[in-house]
Parts: sequence; structure tokens; C-alpha cells
Amino acid sequence: MAKKFDPNIMAFLCNWCSYAGADLTGTSHFHYPPNMSAIRVMCSGRLNPLFVAAAFRQGADGVLISGCHPGECHYMQGNYLARRKISLFRNLLEFMGISPERLQMSLVSASEGKKFSNVVKEVTEKIRELGPLTIFEE
Amino acid sequence: MDNQKLVDEAIKILSQEDVKCIIGYSKDSNGFRVSPLFVRNKGDAEKLFFSPLCSMSLINYLTLEKGNFLRENKDAQGEKIAIMARGCDSRALMQLITEKGIAREEVIILGVPCRGVIDLKKIEAKFPGVRTCAEVTEDQDTYRVCFDNESHEIPREELLADHCKYCAFPNPLVHDLLLDEPVEQKPANYADIEAMEKKELDEKHEYWKEKFSQCLRCYACRNACPLCYCDNCILERLSPSWVNRSVNLPENVVFHLARSYHLAGRCAGCGECERVCPAHLPLMLLNRKLEKDIKELFGYTAGTDSEEKPVFASFNPKDPEDFIL
Repeated sequence: MAKKFDPNIMAFLCNWCSYAGADLTGTSHFHYPPNMSAIRVMCSGRLNPLFVAAAFRQGADGVLISGCHPGECHYMQGNYLARRKISLFRNLLEFMGISPERLQMSLVSASEGKKFSNVVKEVTEKIRELGPLTIFEE
Repeated sequence: MDNQKLVDEAIKILSQEDVKCIIGYSKDSNGFRVSPLFVRNKGDAEKLFFSPLCSMSLINYLTLEKGNFLRENKDAQGEKIAIMARGCDSRALMQLITEKGIAREEVIILGVPCRGVIDLKKIEAKFPGVRTCAEVTEDQDTYRVCFDNESHEIPREELLADHCKYCAFPNPLVHDLLLDEPVEQKPANYADIEAMEKKELDEKHEYWKEKFSQCLRCYACRNACPLCYCDNCILERLSPSWVNRSVNLPENVVFHLARSYHLAGRCAGCGECERVCPAHLPLMLLNRKLEKDIKELFGYTAGTDSEEKPVFASFNPKDPEDFIL
């Protein structure tokens, strides 16, 4: 039997909302696929698209960026700035022949533990369908 | 263009006490090549000229002459530098002014309306082995190429540089004096980008895979770019090393993602990166794709308004969010 493809997903979670949301997912015992590794950043606006490129280069098949809801950013506007950068970077990835679905963004607040587990499930399923990322392999 | 006017104006500018030098173009003795010229005394002013062969951007020489914008060299201030700028160069200057790299009053901009320049690779392929100084003049639809007492007429389309075909800013947007009559301005045309966008994902993947595997990572595109002026470039940093130094396809992809994205909302469209690329990579495709998207999504065009906030330092609550889960 062929082995099922298990994607590597790198998640960048904002300290104030999504990381706390992910924490709540754990303490509330909601299940989510173990394919995701989380990196905590202080704000989703901290995210340089180069982080995403470097994650892809080092073996990630998909990247998830999660921040606060609009208007709830701890730094007032970081998530708005992130949204701009990510939407343009997705277009650039598509132009280069990399599916933009590999870069996902979600908005999860500290109280949405259930939503976080659903987001990770959804992203994992999407990346599983797309298969391994090949342009970053020799 | 009237060369005498350029020389006269240059002499006038050099008579001002606070002007350090004029950066312009001069003829080279070798074939179709053109040299940059730093005019520091009035005697040299008559060597200045402009022709469709002037395909290089001079903005980088301004960076060299002033010292890096990011370093604090206050002693150099107060001295003005005059520079010849075509439409695209004026956009690069405007972008540098927006980024507080240079102050508007420190430069004297000699605007040169430009109908497009000749691609050196194309003309050298057409007339190989020309070693004497060649001259080119332009008409409405043709270039007249003269060397070794011979004269050839070539249709414009055959020699025009690729990025000039889509140029929407042929006239300098910012200038202290204009050296010629403004030329006809065409609306922005993204036909090549749209054709590329329509292709299937796999097709695009194969196209870029083939292109990026030819990249030598000589960093010429970065060095020639008037807007890449960081002292400590992220593409060369070893700790943390976002891009490894090894030259292979995956690293090249990261390199080009980073290079083009650093110019998102900043690229002036001068085509220097493509001109200097020894592997003939279509780098302007990436730059123009980002320019097009920024214009469509955020209504921003780099180097057109020095008062506007840079695109990634501002936001609009109505920015697209349909991709968010």
C-alpha cells in the first residue's frame, strides 16, 4: 500500500491572539493534525515574506500565517500590514508557478480554540491534496 | 535632441558655486557602448551627449558619488549634484526622495524625454564586431545607425529594449529643467504579464524552473539596481542565512523571490537588472507583475508621488481579504 503523503506545515502565530488560541485548543483537548509546527512571532505584521520562502526552501510544503481579527491587533495595525504583504506574495508565488494555496492566512483570536483546530485541519487537507512542493528540491 | 542646449545648460549649472559635478553620458570609443561621464570643470561639458544608445541608468553613480544613503555623512551635504534622468530614472529618483535617501534640494535633475533606448544585446547581434565609435539617430519609426562611414536604417521595433516597449512614463516626472520637448505618453500596458498569468500553473513552473536554473547568482541585477542600496544586503547575510550562497535551483528561486519582492512597490522600471543579466533572465517580468498587482490592488505606483506613503507602510481596511480562511 502506498504511503499517504504527510505534509509539513509551518505556522507563524501571533503572540497575542493566535498563539493563545492554539494554547486554548490544547487545553480544551480539541484535536488537530500533527503536521503543523508552530513558530511564535510577536505580530503577524512582523512576518517578512522571506520567512515564507525560507520555510519552503527548508522543507515546508505549506505555510500558515495567523493573526488577530481586524481592529484587534495589539499593535493597532500589524495585521492589516500583514494582509497586504501576504496577498501580494501569494500572487507572486502563483506567477512563479507555485500554488498560492500553499500560503494560507487565517485570523484566530485567543478565545477561538475550536476555530484554530478547524483551520489546521483545513490547511492540512488542502496541502495534502496539492502534494509535495517540488520547485525547492534539487 | 539638441546637443548644444545640453552643453550650454551644463556650463550654466557648473557656474553655480554649490554644484559638485554633473553626471551624464559621453561617447565611448568602442562600438555601441556609452560611458558615464562626471563633469567637474566646464571644459568637459562639451563631451556630454544623449542618444538612443544611452541605455544605462545613471542613478547608481549618484549613490556612489554621494556615499551610501544609509550612512550618516553629513559633511557631504550642501553640495549639489546634477544628473541626467530619463523618465524611468526620474521615477527612481522620486522613489529615493520618498524613502528619504536623498533630499530633493541636493540634486539638480536634467530631464531627458526619451522614446525608448536601444538594447545593446540586440544591436550587437545585428552588427557584430563593430569596434569604432558608432552613432545612432532616431526618426519616427527608424533608427539610423552610422559607423565606419556606412549608414543603416533599422526599424525601431527591432532594436528597442523590451522594457521600453511597455514604458508608461517616457517623460521625467520630476525635473529642474527639461532638455527637449515632452514626447507622447502611452497608457500602461501589461500585455506580456497578462499572457503569462493566463498560463497553467505547471507551465509557469516549468518556465521559471528553466530560467532560474540558468542563474549564475552573480548579483549583477542587485548591484545595478538604483533602488538596491542596502549596506548589509539580506541576500548576503550569513547569520541568519535566509538564502544560502550555494548556486542551485532551490536557492536561486528563493533569491529571485526575495530580490523581486524587495522591489515590490519600489521598482522604477528602468530595466537595469535585465540589461546587466549575463544569463538573459526576464527579471522585468517579475518586477512588472508586482507593479501591476500593486496598482490594481492598492492603487499605488512607485515613484510618482513623493508625498505618498510607501505601499507596505500603509494599509486600507478595504484591502483584498478573500484569501483569508
